[in-house]
Amino acid sequence: MTTQLPPGLQLEKVDERIMTLNVGPQHPGSGHMRLIIKVDGDYIVSCDPDPGYVHRGEEKMAEYRNYIVNIPHLERPVIHDSCNVLYPYCLGVEELLGLEVPERAKYLRVIASELNRCVYIQYWLAIYGIFLGHSTMFMWPAGDRELLIDLLEKITGARVTHAYFVPGGIRNDVPANFEEMCLKRVNYFEKRIKEYAAIFYDNPILISRTQGAGVLSREDAIRLGTTGSTLRASGVDFDLRKKEPYDAYGELDVHSNVLKDGDSYARSKIPWLDMLESCNIIRQALQKMPKSGSVRVKLKPNPKGGNDEVYKRVESGRGSLGCYIVSRSQPEPYRLKLSVGSFRNLICMPYLLKGEKLGNMPAVYWSLNYWPVEADR
Amino acid sequence: MGTATGIIKALNSGIKHLAVKRFTLRYPEQKLKFVGDGYQFDPTTGVGIAGYKGRHMLFHDKCTGCQLCAIACEGVAEAIGMVKVQDEWKHNKKGIMPQIDYGKCVFCGLCVDACPFYALYMTNDYELSSFTKEALIYTPAQLQVKPYVQQDAEIVFDSRGATHG
Repeated sequence: MTTQLPPGLQLEKVDERIMTLNVGPQHPGSGHMRLIIKVDGDYIVSCDPDPGYVHRGEEKMAEYRNYIVNIPHLERPVIHDSCNVLYPYCLGVEELLGLEVPERAKYLRVIASELNRCVYIQYWLAIYGIFLGHSTMFMWPAGDRELLIDLLEKITGARVTHAYFVPGGIRNDVPANFEEMCLKRVNYFEKRIKEYAAIFYDNPILISRTQGAGVLSREDAIRLGTTGSTLRASGVDFDLRKKEPYDAYGELDVHSNVLKDGDSYARSKIPWLDMLESCNIIRQALQKMPKSGSVRVKLKPNPKGGNDEVYKRVESGRGSLGCYIVSRSQPEPYRLKLSVGSFRNLICMPYLLKGEKLGNMPAVYWSLNYWPVEADR
Repeated sequence: MGTATGIIKALNSGIKHLAVKRFTLRYPEQKLKFVGDGYQFDPTTGVGIAGYKGRHMLFHDKCTGCQLCAIACEGVAEAIGMVKVQDEWKHNKKGIMPQIDYGKCVFCGLCVDACPFYALYMTNDYELSSFTKEALIYTPAQLQVKPYVQQDAEIVFDSRGATHG
């Protein structure tokens, strides 16, 4: 049977052996994104990631709102990592408006963003556990995450959507016995996450499942422009907290975790090592923080920037997160662009999954530290 | 490390947790304690006071009907509308006060930051669910009421792990 097709359209050639599978977009694990996978038996022939189901137009929305009103909107792409998502925006606006952040606010920002990184990674780890059928690894991080969420709630007043950072500092100072409370929780949290080693990371079942699955070589990682834990798992020592220190990171001793293997196991271990490093950074910051002082510069009601543009980036839970702001002497930004780690890591999916077994797909996919909502913005 | 040793170690790590206290917060019976009475803002210094961002509280004797809270909410959630109130105040010539729709509110607290007269605070009350959308709209008279909250559970640490004591 021949069908007359309109010019420009063509039917996909159907192969007897190759079957096309749609993973998502409503898969409870994948988030709102689709992977179009072609399989030959049990082996993946090609993979075509299809993001864009939760595009919210955050960048366009930002052009109609002033610098302060943008704050609750811009943290929406990753509410679990809301402090880190707002960080580059605040740094950028501060440079546009020429604001000098008080010393105490710099340290408190570091503490809040490191706590938030732990909260995000715990959530990510819980999902990674359930992806691999390890239900204990779902319960433990989800429970221990509550320790830090409760602490962040005491500082910022909300469990996940904090809206804590503003251009010029932070919204409010910390409660009275914060240092003691924070130290106690972080120490207990560190003790708890060290216990994950025996049950998860040293577990032979997990190792056999993830080791050697989806290997990304050092050259490919650089060529594809990956970032964050994916890049560091491939042996590239690139951590913005160390390479381009912002705020108080310059005064703190930050160690960046690098593994050489570049497989799913290394990619899943880097965030866990990052959490241990975050605990160190928080303890250092608590020690070096000025005990009192201002935490916020007073802003004019509708601050305007000059004819200028600025690009700032920070290390978020998913890698480098950049914010490009163009100002045209208006209270609103003329253009705002977020360059997110999730979207940049997604590009290696077709390379990693080729020739891989279908059963390894979840292990490879979630190890990329991908967050669908952030990639779509 | 051999495969068998690894599996035994993993199982052992799980079994050890039979002796650890349960961390779960039994929510309706227990409620988490927050710092202070809620999020407040000091317009003279321009810095907020740490606290939970829950339902608002409006002081009728301080509100001047200046609409700054409604303007602050405009690009965020558009939850605040100004409505006429019955009682007359000398400082509130127009007789208007904010009415907040909690179906829209995102609890960012920018309205509290905008108030220069210490009239709008946020309280520890977060149990706002209702059966109708209309009941989520809080009138100035409802916002005036200080909520009754009984929150006393706190995370405590001992040798057998952390619990909500």
